[in-house]
Amino acid sequence: MKLYASLGANNKLAVRNRLFQALVVSVILILFAFMFSALANIVWKGLAGLLHTITSKEIQFAIRLSLFTSFTSTLICVVFAIPVAYGLERFNFPGRRFINVILDIPLSLPPLVSGVALLLLFGTTSFGQALAAHGLRFIFSVNGIILAQFFIITPYMVRVLKSTIADINPRLEFVARTLGSSQWQAFYKVTLPLAKNGIIAGLVISWSRAIGEFGCALMVAGATRMVTETLPVALYLNMSIGDLEMAMASATCLIVISLFSLFIFEMLGGKQSLVSRIT
Amino acid sequence: MIRLCNIYKSLGDFKLKNINLTIEDNEYFVILGPTGTGKTVILEVIAGMYKPDHGEVWLNERNVTEEYPESRHIGFVYQDYMLFPHLNVEENILFALKLKKTPAKIMKEKLERMATLLNINHLLQRYPATLSGGEQQRTAIARALVAEPDVLLLDEPLSALDPRSKEVFQQELKQIHRQIKTTTIHITHDFNEALVLADRMGIMCNGEIVQVGSPEDVFHKPCSQFVATFVGMENIFNGIISDESDARQVRIGPVQLRVASNLLGKVRVAIRSEDIIIAEDKLSSSAQNILPASITEIVPRGPFFKLFLDAGIPLVALVTRQAIDEMRLEPGKNVWAVFKTAAVHVF
Repeated sequence: MKLYASLGANNKLAVRNRLFQALVVSVILILFAFMFSALANIVWKGLAGLLHTITSKEIQFAIRLSLFTSFTSTLICVVFAIPVAYGLERFNFPGRRFINVILDIPLSLPPLVSGVALLLLFGTTSFGQALAAHGLRFIFSVNGIILAQFFIITPYMVRVLKSTIADINPRLEFVARTLGSSQWQAFYKVTLPLAKNGIIAGLVISWSRAIGEFGCALMVAGATRMVTETLPVALYLNMSIGDLEMAMASATCLIVISLFSLFIFEMLGGKQSLVSRIT
Repeated sequence: MIRLCNIYKSLGDFKLKNINLTIEDNEYFVILGPTGTGKTVILEVIAGMYKPDHGEVWLNERNVTEEYPESRHIGFVYQDYMLFPHLNVEENILFALKLKKTPAKIMKEKLERMATLLNINHLLQRYPATLSGGEQQRTAIARALVAEPDVLLLDEPLSALDPRSKEVFQQELKQIHRQIKTTTIHITHDFNEALVLADRMGIMCNGEIVQVGSPEDVFHKPCSQFVATFVGMENIFNGIISDESDARQVRIGPVQLRVASNLLGKVRVAIRSEDIIIAEDKLSSSAQNILPASITEIVPRGPFFKLFLDAGIPLVALVTRQAIDEMRLEPGKNVWAVFKTAAVHVF
């Protein structure tokens, strides 16, 4: 009798557990279906038109401009981000925390606001005018796109690199120095090679952010067809005049680029911790 | 020669206080102290990772307090080795020589010599992540020694090894030091390590060096209760020496013990548990302290047994299994606890 009773209780528990599992799985499925159908729909329709539209001058221009600006801004970004991340992580100087906070602000700022800030700095101040007088014009030009992308992605890059460098024991550099390396040699021969994966991950993430950057670049460089028309701008312009085929072709290009960078990111060891730290 | 003068350094929870220490050329000096007393910080101050808040570091008659680590000629081996994970064993060892642009032929000779000395010839192409703790330790020592440093600093080099490899490597460290004679500071919390390796040793407690001397000195004449407890003294008491004639005595509660000491008044008294002899009969010997005692407890401890005795004061004595069997020692039995005047340390 006792055995049956306990079996009954066990059955009840089994039912409850099954229900709970079913609930969790169905929530997962709902979210997945939602995201997947949105993406699949656009890729499906976009791919059909892509072969046709990819030959159009406008899309080709947008792809070329997007690649050029994103590569340039990512390159400039990494040149700044490596020393900045290293210095903020390893050196102790007054104002370090304050600088850290300021560098993090663009991460949480709406891109449009960043765009306005840049527009005002380079458009209205004497600093911006001095640059323009020397031929470095940012407002309503391709330079402006690069500037906007740089402004948006550099804080990400700094963050990825800071957490990468924080994971490298400073004692490794110290040992290198007891073996005769200068501070620079210790950085170059020990820390930099060990940060390689973090740097690549940061590059990929920053680059894909740069190529998708819209709001900030729109404010600084405007959306002029065939002049400052990157892929997101092409999507926006064609959507606004109702050319769905062109719009979806641009969107598809952007989705393919995202998938590609996500793939590379996962290949670099999944970097779960990296992703969670920057978002 | 290393000379530390009046070193003060506070670093988070660690504090070094008034460190004064001279380590002679070719000496193997061991700093012994419990974990978390700032032992590693001393090494890092000597090597130049941290500048002391106060005081000076002298290496071979040169004041290096303001010098960078790269100009101090110091070999540093951390407890967790700190091998460069992106370089294989050979590249790790050659790191210093490559920086100096040493000719390939000389590099090869030195590499071979080091690899043979430390027995890691077969590991040269492996990466640190694939090595055992002991192998990493050997590599780290080879990497430090190949640069022919004036001073070798070892931070708990044996603590991560299993007991067997620890014993083997301890002997090897001694051999290596005999061969190359580099002035060495070795940090540990294990008294036995110090006993085996040290020419001299310093005991560290709460950021201060509290006693310096040969291992025998420290072992047999601890200067404070901390040192006594730390080196394994079991029997420590408060006592009073009142001025009497030649035959000086220290009173501990109901018991009087013969001592050889010039101290007067309130003192601490320590007796090593292995210095206490257990006798069935009141034997006549040169030992001046003979106390009747009853056994309260017998506890195994490694190859020996710990005897807890009540002799008016609680005493702990160390005996062999054989002694227990032959004398039929058991709780409740009455015996005599016998020890020499010289075994009673007063401080």
